[in-house]
Amino acid sequence: MDVRSLVSGETEGDAGARALRASTGARRRSALAVRRARWHLAGIVALLAWTLPPFLYLVMLSIKPERILIDRSALFFVPTFERYRDFVASGLAAPIWTSLVTSTLGGLGTVVLAGLAAMTFRFLDFKAKTVLFLLILLPRMFPPVTTLIPIQLTLKALGLIDTKTALVILFIGFEIPLATWILHTFFADVPRELAESAALDGASLPAIVTKILLPLAGPGLLAAFILSFIFNWNEFLFPLIVTSFNARTGSVAIMSFTAGYKKLQWGALATLGVIMTIPVVLFVLAFRQSLVRGFTAGALKG
Amino acid sequence: MGMKWAALGSGRFYFWIMAMPAVLYVAAWRLAPAVYTLWLGLHQYNIVYDAAPRWNHLANFLQILRDGALRQSLGLSAQFAVIAMTAEVLIGLAAALFLDTDPPGRNLLLGVFLMPMIMAPVVVGTAWGTLFDRTVGYIPYVLRLLHGPQLQWMATPGTAMFALLVADAWEWAPLVTLLLFASLQAIPREHFEAARVDGASGWQLFRRIILPQITGMVLVAAGLRLMDAFLELDKVFVMTGGGPGSSTQFVSMFIYKQAFQFYELGYASAVITVLLAVLAVAYWFYLRSYYRTLEAANL
Repeated sequence: MDVRSLVSGETEGDAGARALRASTGARRRSALAVRRARWHLAGIVALLAWTLPPFLYLVMLSIKPERILIDRSALFFVPTFERYRDFVASGLAAPIWTSLVTSTLGGLGTVVLAGLAAMTFRFLDFKAKTVLFLLILLPRMFPPVTTLIPIQLTLKALGLIDTKTALVILFIGFEIPLATWILHTFFADVPRELAESAALDGASLPAIVTKILLPLAGPGLLAAFILSFIFNWNEFLFPLIVTSFNARTGSVAIMSFTAGYKKLQWGALATLGVIMTIPVVLFVLAFRQSLVRGFTAGALKG
Repeated sequence: MGMKWAALGSGRFYFWIMAMPAVLYVAAWRLAPAVYTLWLGLHQYNIVYDAAPRWNHLANFLQILRDGALRQSLGLSAQFAVIAMTAEVLIGLAAALFLDTDPPGRNLLLGVFLMPMIMAPVVVGTAWGTLFDRTVGYIPYVLRLLHGPQLQWMATPGTAMFALLVADAWEWAPLVTLLLFASLQAIPREHFEAARVDGASGWQLFRRIILPQITGMVLVAAGLRLMDAFLELDKVFVMTGGGPGSSTQFVSMFIYKQAFQFYELGYASAVITVLLAVLAVAYWFYLRSYYRTLEAANL
């Protein structure tokens, strides 16, 4: 044994001790990882068990054959798609179409008006700016029920009761405050200097808006449109009081199944529920990121 | 901030014009109706009997003081709002804490969990109303299999209220999760590590490190839910219609019935006025904690 080996022996001992410590550390860490994985599994199961059953139940009810509809022990059966096939013939397609058209037009109108306003509030300083901005946001503090009676009286006076026009007019107004706020937060990401220097270089206003602001605000506009669409699509109280038959929406049609002679048509009710949910689910899956941001901004504004 | 667009010249004016459609639209369809409601509350106006609104010396407000049905509705709404809010904060917080531990597929899980709050409230009501139904619903069925109590869920006052609470918690706990998850993610991870090294238990970690950081957002979320649940209407419409009797006739339903079934537009407007006053006070408290939270979180 030379000096080197003595030295190395010592080092080996040291290394051994370190290795021992490391291996117990690793064992503890892997035990921790196993426990963590179990916790995660339990949590995921709990989360899905809380969220999914009502969805699955509606889907199941919509494809369960009529004769075993109330036989709840029948969890497995040959599905029937008759109700979806008969959907158009049963006259339920009309309310869904109304919802689709009015929600889309309402959302577009909202985005155009709110987009123009948000741009001004973000990029221009002028007297009364704060007052006007607050004026737009103010309605968020009144619950919709406060406008119910005058709106019904007004639409009656204008002869617009039970028309799609009435719904579009209302839908545009409902979401302007929310959309203005969301777009304002999205426009906040656009550097002011960009627009400012373009203006100093003599670019015209339409050029600034179309060449600089709109392309940069694309994701915000999309989020504002989708959120407006979803809220319009889900709206219930106003369609209920300003429409009766010709322009009733999907949510009003659902309501007609929960009372009166249609009360026991569970299958058709569930089918309508599923169809009402499909666009919402698609939007959420496709645009989760920007929707989450929009929702957070919308909720926090209050 | 003070950018003056001298260079834009008359363009400045057009820019200003751009904001006007939205402002006028909101003024016409949101603000004017609200003001008209306040005005109408001071008048007798039954759309069947009265040709025009007629000043009635605050009789509507005197009637509000004597109206037992309204008092019951307000009580029910308050009860519903407080219980729903509590349940939603607890469930929402639990889900947010869980998602904050980074389980596999976290973002997809969050997306799925958020679905109930994005779908139509009437569909939420439909799903739960059917689940609780005696003939097709699974909740009474499973209870029967377990030899549990046989209840007429939607036809008994207490259980109808319970069903509405479950539906509301299912729909809105995700909102609490969404807000709390954002503020949990903002807590620096080093704080957890440091506490773990010091041997803090899970509970201590939550109590000492996490809770102080998210208290503000919990209050904001609770305030949002409290005010919204107080005005709940859509699910009541499809699940109970306010019944059995008037046991789930919350205040929005009360207003709806006064206005559109009894046509007492003046009285309904007066009730809305009182409601607005109550909500304004709540809103003031809410905004206080809201701005403190935003300042602290720098959102």
